[in-house]
Amino acid sequence: MFDSLSLTRIPAEDEALRAPVRAFLDDALKGVPPEVRARSWSGFDADFSRALGQRGWIGLTLPKEFGGGGRSLYARFVLVEELLRAGAPVAAHWFADRQSAPHILKFGTPQQAQFYLPRICRGEAFFCIGMSEPGSGSDLASVRTRAARNDQGWRLDGQKIWTTNAHRSHYMIALVRTSGAAGSRQKGLSQVIVDLSLPGITIRPITDLTGDAHFCEVFFDGVQLSEDALIGAEGDGWNQVTSELAYERSGPERIYSSVVLLDEWLAHLRTQREPSERSLALAGRVLSSLAVLRSLSVSVNGRLAEGHSPVIEAALVKDLGTTLEQFIPEAIADALGDDPDATLPEGLSRTLQYVSQIAPAFSLRGGTREVLRGMIARGLGLR
Amino acid sequence: MDNEFGAAFGHLLADRCTPDVVRQVERGDSAQALWRDLVESGFVDALVPEARDGAGLSLHQVLPLVQACGYHALPLPFAETMAVRAALAHAGRGWPDGPLSLDAIGDALQAEDRSALHAALTTAQIAGAAERVLEMSIAHAQQRTQFGKAIGSFQAVQHQLSVMAEQACAARMAAQLSFASATHLPDRTLAAMGKNVAGEAAAVIAAGSHAVHGAIGITAEFDLQLYTRRLLAWRVQAGSPSHWAMQVARQWWRGTHRRAIDFTLERLGAAQF
Repeated sequence: MFDSLSLTRIPAEDEALRAPVRAFLDDALKGVPPEVRARSWSGFDADFSRALGQRGWIGLTLPKEFGGGGRSLYARFVLVEELLRAGAPVAAHWFADRQSAPHILKFGTPQQAQFYLPRICRGEAFFCIGMSEPGSGSDLASVRTRAARNDQGWRLDGQKIWTTNAHRSHYMIALVRTSGAAGSRQKGLSQVIVDLSLPGITIRPITDLTGDAHFCEVFFDGVQLSEDALIGAEGDGWNQVTSELAYERSGPERIYSSVVLLDEWLAHLRTQREPSERSLALAGRVLSSLAVLRSLSVSVNGRLAEGHSPVIEAALVKDLGTTLEQFIPEAIADALGDDPDATLPEGLSRTLQYVSQIAPAFSLRGGTREVLRGMIARGLGLR
Repeated sequence: MDNEFGAAFGHLLADRCTPDVVRQVERGDSAQALWRDLVESGFVDALVPEARDGAGLSLHQVLPLVQACGYHALPLPFAETMAVRAALAHAGRGWPDGPLSLDAIGDALQAEDRSALHAALTTAQIAGAAERVLEMSIAHAQQRTQFGKAIGSFQAVQHQLSVMAEQACAARMAAQLSFASATHLPDRTLAAMGKNVAGEAAAVIAAGSHAVHGAIGITAEFDLQLYTRRLLAWRVQAGSPSHWAMQVARQWWRGTHRRAIDFTLERLGAAQF
C-alpha cells in the first residue's frame, strides 16, 4: 500500500543549486522581519519575482526553447525548498511557476506555449487559478461560469471567488462550463486562459482575518475571449484540472508553511541558558516529523519526475504536512505561554500571531482536509 | 525498498508464523521448531560480514526482513539476534546459538549505538505491524455491513482509515530513514527521529483499527490484538516518543544551525540507501 513512497535521493547536480539560491536569498532578504517572511508563498513582491526570473529561477523545469531552465523536478524542489526556508515573497510568480506554466506546456498549443511561457519565465506574466465559485468550493464539478461559443471565440459570463492574487495577476486559467448545465457535473467543463485586462472583468479583493488581501472575487460580464483562449480540449476540463491538482498538492509548500515561525522560536530557545524540557521535547518532535515529511515530499516529487501522476500520494502527504503546519503554531503558543510573565521578542510575537491566525487556511487551500481524506479512502478501495 | 530477501522471508513467515503459532508461543509452548526454521533460512546471518560466513548485507538491505517480523507478529527476537550477531562479528567475537536479546551485545557497541539500533529495529517492526493492521481494518470495513451497507462507505469510517494510512506511511518512511545505513548500524539521529515518529504513529493506528473493528477487535479470538498489542508495546519499547524527541532536541541544541531545515537537511544527508 503506497509502496511507491520510498526514500528518494535528490541528484547531486540538482542539490548543487542550493548554495547559489541560498546565497542570493541571504542577501535579498536581509533585514526583512520574520512576520513578513512568514507570509512565504502568500507574500507578493513583483520586483523580487523579476529578480528571480533574471537568474533563471522561474520556470526552471520548462524547456529552454520557451525560456525555461530545462532542469528536473528535483532541481525545482531544491529551489522551492530554499525559497520557503527563507520566507521569500514568491506569490507573484508562484502559481504560474508551479502549475500554469507546466499546464500550458502539457495541454496548450505550441503557439500558446510560445506566447505565455517566455514571459512567465522572465517574471513578467503572473497567473491566478480560477476554480472556486460562490456555489462551488469543494464540489468543483458544479461550476456555473460559462464560456459560450460566438463568432469571435468565446463569451464569458459568471463569477469566481477565493482567487488568490487575481487583482495583481495578468492572466487567469479558469475552469468553466462550455456545454451542459451545472447538473452535468464533470461533463462539459473546459479551461480557458483569461486576459484579466479585458473589458467586462471586475476584480474585488477580500480582506482576510489577518488584515491581508490576497484572495478576490472576480466577475465576468460578457467578456469576449478570442478563439485561442481555450486551453486543451473542449470538454476535457475535468481531467485537466485533476492533473493540475497533482502539481498543486505535492510540493514542499505543504509542509513548510509554519517554518519561519519554527525558526524564530528555535532561535528564541537558543537565547535561553537552559530551555525547559517541555520545549526541547517539542522541538525534537517537530524536527523529527519534519525529517519524515520532507522525505515523503521528495518521494512524491520523484514520482512526478518519473512521469506518474501521484494524486492519492500527494493528497496523503499534503494532509500529513498541513497537520504539522497547524500543530506548530498551536504547540509553540502553548510552550511560550508556559511562563505568563515572560516578555517575548516582538518579531516572534508578531510571527506567532500571524501564523496562528492564518493556520486554518493551510488545510483549506488546494483542497480541504475532508476532501483529501475522501480521496485517500477511495485510493484504499473504500467507496 | 522491498527486495528478494524480504519477499522470501515474508513467504517463510506467512507459512510458519501463522496467528495460531503466535498464540501457541505466547501461551508458553516451545518455539524451537519455529526458531529452527528461521535459522535454516540463513537470514539470521544477513548482517554478518562475508568473512565470518554471513551475507554481508547492510542495514538498508535487511529492512524488509525486519518489517516482515512486525507484519507477522513474530514472537521471537529474530531481528535482534540478526543485529547482535553482526555487532559481535564486527567486534571480532563469537555468539551462542539460539535467540539473543540486545543485552548479549555487552560492550561490543557503544551505549548510544546500541540504543539507536534497538530503536531502529523497533521502528521497522512498528512499520510492518502498521501495514498489517491497516490491511485488516480496510478489509473489515469492506465486509462488515451496518444500516444496510458496508461501514467503509461511511465518511466517518473512511476518514479514520485515511488517517491510519497516513500514519502507516509516516511509520514506513521513519523505518526507511532508521535503516538508511550502508553498515550494520543506524545513523543515531535518523534512528532517533524515526522512533519518535513511528512511536506516535503506532498509537494512532492501534486506536483507529479498534474503532473500525468494534467489539470483535477486542476479543482474544480475533487476530487484530496480536498486532495492536505489539504496536502499543513497541511504541514505548526502546524509548518512548518523548524520550527520542529529547535526544533529537539535544543534538539540535549542540549544533549551530541557523534554521530548522538546515538541521533536518544535514541529518537527512547522512542517509545511505
